[in-house]
Amino acid sequence: MIRLQARPLETLQDAYDLLQTAIGVEFGTLPPYLYALFSIPPGKNPAAGARIRSVMLQEMVHMCLACNILNALGGAPKLTPPTYPGPLPGDIGPHGTPLDIHLLPLSRDAMQQAMKIEEPEKVPDFPVLKASLAAGPQAMTIGQFYTMLDAYLATLPPAAWHVDRNQITDSQFFAGQIFAVNSYADANLAITQIISEGEGAPDNPLDFQNDIAHFYRFGEVFYDRVLTKAPGTETGYTWGPEPLGVDWDAVYPAISDPGEHDFSNDPPEAQAAQAACDAAYAEMVDELQRAISGEPGRMGNAAQAMFDLRMAMLVAFRSPLADPTKVSGPTFLYKPTTEGAVL
Amino acid sequence: MSVLETPHILFRGKVAWDPITTNNYSTMYDEATASWAQIPAETAQGFRDEAITAVENGNWNPGGTHRSSFFDTQISGVDTGGGVATVDPFVGAPVGFQGMLVDCEPYGAFSSQLFFDTLSLGIAGGCRIYAPRTTRFTARYINFRRNGANRMIAGVASVIWQTAFAKTDGLQIDAFDSPALQALATAIEDPDVLGLTVRWNSYFTVYYDDPTLGDASDPVRQKQRQAASAAALQSKLRGGGFQPNPARSDVVGVVGLWRKGEPIHEPGDRALLSSEGATAFGTAFARIDGDTLTLDLGNSVSEVDQALTKQDLGSIDVVALDSDGKDLATLGSLTYADYDQAAYESASGLVTLKLDPAAAKIAADADLCLRQSNGTVLATEAALRAIPLVPNLYLDQGDTATAVAQVYARGVPVGAGVPVTIAASASSVTVTSVSQTDANGQVSFDVIGSQGQVNGFVFVPGADAVVPVGGIDPQVTTYMYARTLPDNGLDQAPATWANVYNAVLINWYAMAPCMDNWLRLDDPAQVHAYGPMLKTLTDPVNFELFRYMPVVRDMTADSRRLLYRFLDGPAPGAMKVAAMATATLVAEPEHEPTNAELSRAMRGN
Repeated sequence: MIRLQARPLETLQDAYDLLQTAIGVEFGTLPPYLYALFSIPPGKNPAAGARIRSVMLQEMVHMCLACNILNALGGAPKLTPPTYPGPLPGDIGPHGTPLDIHLLPLSRDAMQQAMKIEEPEKVPDFPVLKASLAAGPQAMTIGQFYTMLDAYLATLPPAAWHVDRNQITDSQFFAGQIFAVNSYADANLAITQIISEGEGAPDNPLDFQNDIAHFYRFGEVFYDRVLTKAPGTETGYTWGPEPLGVDWDAVYPAISDPGEHDFSNDPPEAQAAQAACDAAYAEMVDELQRAISGEPGRMGNAAQAMFDLRMAMLVAFRSPLADPTKVSGPTFLYKPTTEGAVL
Repeated sequence: MSVLETPHILFRGKVAWDPITTNNYSTMYDEATASWAQIPAETAQGFRDEAITAVENGNWNPGGTHRSSFFDTQISGVDTGGGVATVDPFVGAPVGFQGMLVDCEPYGAFSSQLFFDTLSLGIAGGCRIYAPRTTRFTARYINFRRNGANRMIAGVASVIWQTAFAKTDGLQIDAFDSPALQALATAIEDPDVLGLTVRWNSYFTVYYDDPTLGDASDPVRQKQRQAASAAALQSKLRGGGFQPNPARSDVVGVVGLWRKGEPIHEPGDRALLSSEGATAFGTAFARIDGDTLTLDLGNSVSEVDQALTKQDLGSIDVVALDSDGKDLATLGSLTYADYDQAAYESASGLVTLKLDPAAAKIAADADLCLRQSNGTVLATEAALRAIPLVPNLYLDQGDTATAVAQVYARGVPVGAGVPVTIAASASSVTVTSVSQTDANGQVSFDVIGSQGQVNGFVFVPGADAVVPVGGIDPQVTTYMYARTLPDNGLDQAPATWANVYNAVLINWYAMAPCMDNWLRLDDPAQVHAYGPMLKTLTDPVNFELFRYMPVVRDMTADSRRLLYRFLDGPAPGAMKVAAMATATLVAEPEHEPTNAELSRAMRGN
């Protein structure tokens, strides 16, 4: 469970800081989710892959919406890629301890980590889940964090909102999900979407569009059970009985936290794959930064870099290391390599 | 028939359309040779540049993917026989769909299809209808008079999409505590029910994500705004990257029973055909069950503004006519509140009337008519309809396929001996023949793929058939298309990379820049490395799959064989050879516009 330290919001600068942290958190969740997703060989674990992919795409949307809010308030969002293993941006962590995020191939550990990231303030007391997770909020969940931000934004006068300032919309991708923020009402809608897609509603696992929220999506993979309606029961849902069909063995034998691995003694193919991943990742970050800084057309270039990154990751996860029983995976270490780098 | 029965499920939302539009233009794509209309010495990159330039002339999406997705779409209501209800647990569930939008006739607008794998209404673990594809969605009854206030490209048009899902293909209903789904699950167990039919209407299409671009109230300003949007897209495209420009439409739909004998791809209900010269009103459909008349006005009543206010046609009488067109009985009347915007969105255009039993009996054998109180006829039933079993047929040159049409009388399959005139139609009717239905009420004829071409066929059942000289009128005629993919003589070509690239891959490399994101079609090493995957994705047995390649279903058989010979050969070095592309321009003859070519005119041809 990621918990953000509470901090009173008194000034616009406080809101800027909070939003910048939110952007960092949304962005920082992408690499671990991507790592788990692309560690699945093509054609394997389709149900698990679909769930992780759906969450990952929504995290991209959340990041754009958070940037839209900050831009609408006159701020300047910055993408600051974290290193892995390591903490996500901001003073965050469970029980006052920063949470280290690891890059893990698809596994129960990877899914448990994802559930900790997405865990709501109050976990509904579904069977199975009750015995395995203990909660004890001491700081703030992401949902509480956004709620506090929303309460502050509601106090701002209409003049605080800059219309059409550096906004990303859904005109190219994510139809119906990314929208411009030009007022508090828009920001409130964005925050509602972010919270509900991540955590669901307080008393059920569905988001504002009656789809399954992230925490439960990961839970389905973790428990290898479909979250299922149970009409007439106290909780309304159960984990199963339908299995999701996760095959924990149908995963590339990828190393964890490749950022800590020394590739200098690995085969040239593995090193080349790493270099391709690094280049595509850097390109993607740079183009994203431009897109959220007033060049929305650059989002298409960022998408192109994402496709390049995907191809590079596919190669990396197929590239044996010096230990032939293991393969490499992308490090997600940001190394500015282009003239377009703006970080 | 079909979805007009209860129980049925209603949904409403939006759909995004992201087709590559470059192949809509005869100046840039030759549908006869299934290849880009090449210009001497021009490279594929030059073609891409030209496609971007053509944005200012209406080529609104040269960077598209063909993907079409529902968004913001939910179950909006259910009807188990007592009218539309919104309290069922299924109401509000999301509807997920993603398909590939492909035209059988690339230049025209009458033959759109959505290739897909599954349709999901609801979510796994919750109330849900999970529907693996039986066959693709097909568009029919395009209505060019629907949204007159939305004048941009095909923004004025609406269209009906339909397919059916067989119980034997994995159709699953997870009812849980939903009475509507429980009723549907029970009904589907009837041996007469084959599965479920899904019918939806898409309308009010918006381009460049800007509804104001369709506002023609100030033509000068509209032109300026459209030009500015085109220029902005060109700028993005020239900046590189992944730059699709999807259009969007509103959607209303219904899910209901698919019974034996009912067509898959278009309504088989009693057809009330749009009247020529009437106030803009599209063809409607009707079903009578006992004392209940259900009308499908999903594609019928036009909107008068961009707020989608429905045209007020006043009171509309439903009348039963004799064979001379004289009134036999008035079955009921619709008030504006029955078909206004709120009613349309609530019930997906379906309107239900209670009938007097005596009137229902009369209506069983009479022609239905929709008529305004001032006497204006909006639509009149055509008792006989001949509907093709396969609405969009693909052939390879040299193949002969048997096309079959099922004839219906007031929505019920007929028996033997009904004549059906079949008219082959391109821009106008050129050939006709007459066949008699067999004992199953079907007529069949051979479609001979003698050369690369796209043909339309119109079916006119009955003894006094009047062949539509203007060709296909999608509001009135039933029709099918047949696309023959040519033999371009590639079986004699050595399986060199140059031949594979110049004669096969360059078509999609040039026209589908989005392919770069998945595979570099100008890179022989990468193409060869992905040989097994390419073979799977291009295998004709996978033609219906969402991921079939090429998306536009225009790979010729000899192209495939040449590609496979290359893939089965030795691996080449990694060398881009885009500059090797040379060919000659295939000139497209000028066409005199006809009524039937309206669909092509919508594409700028």
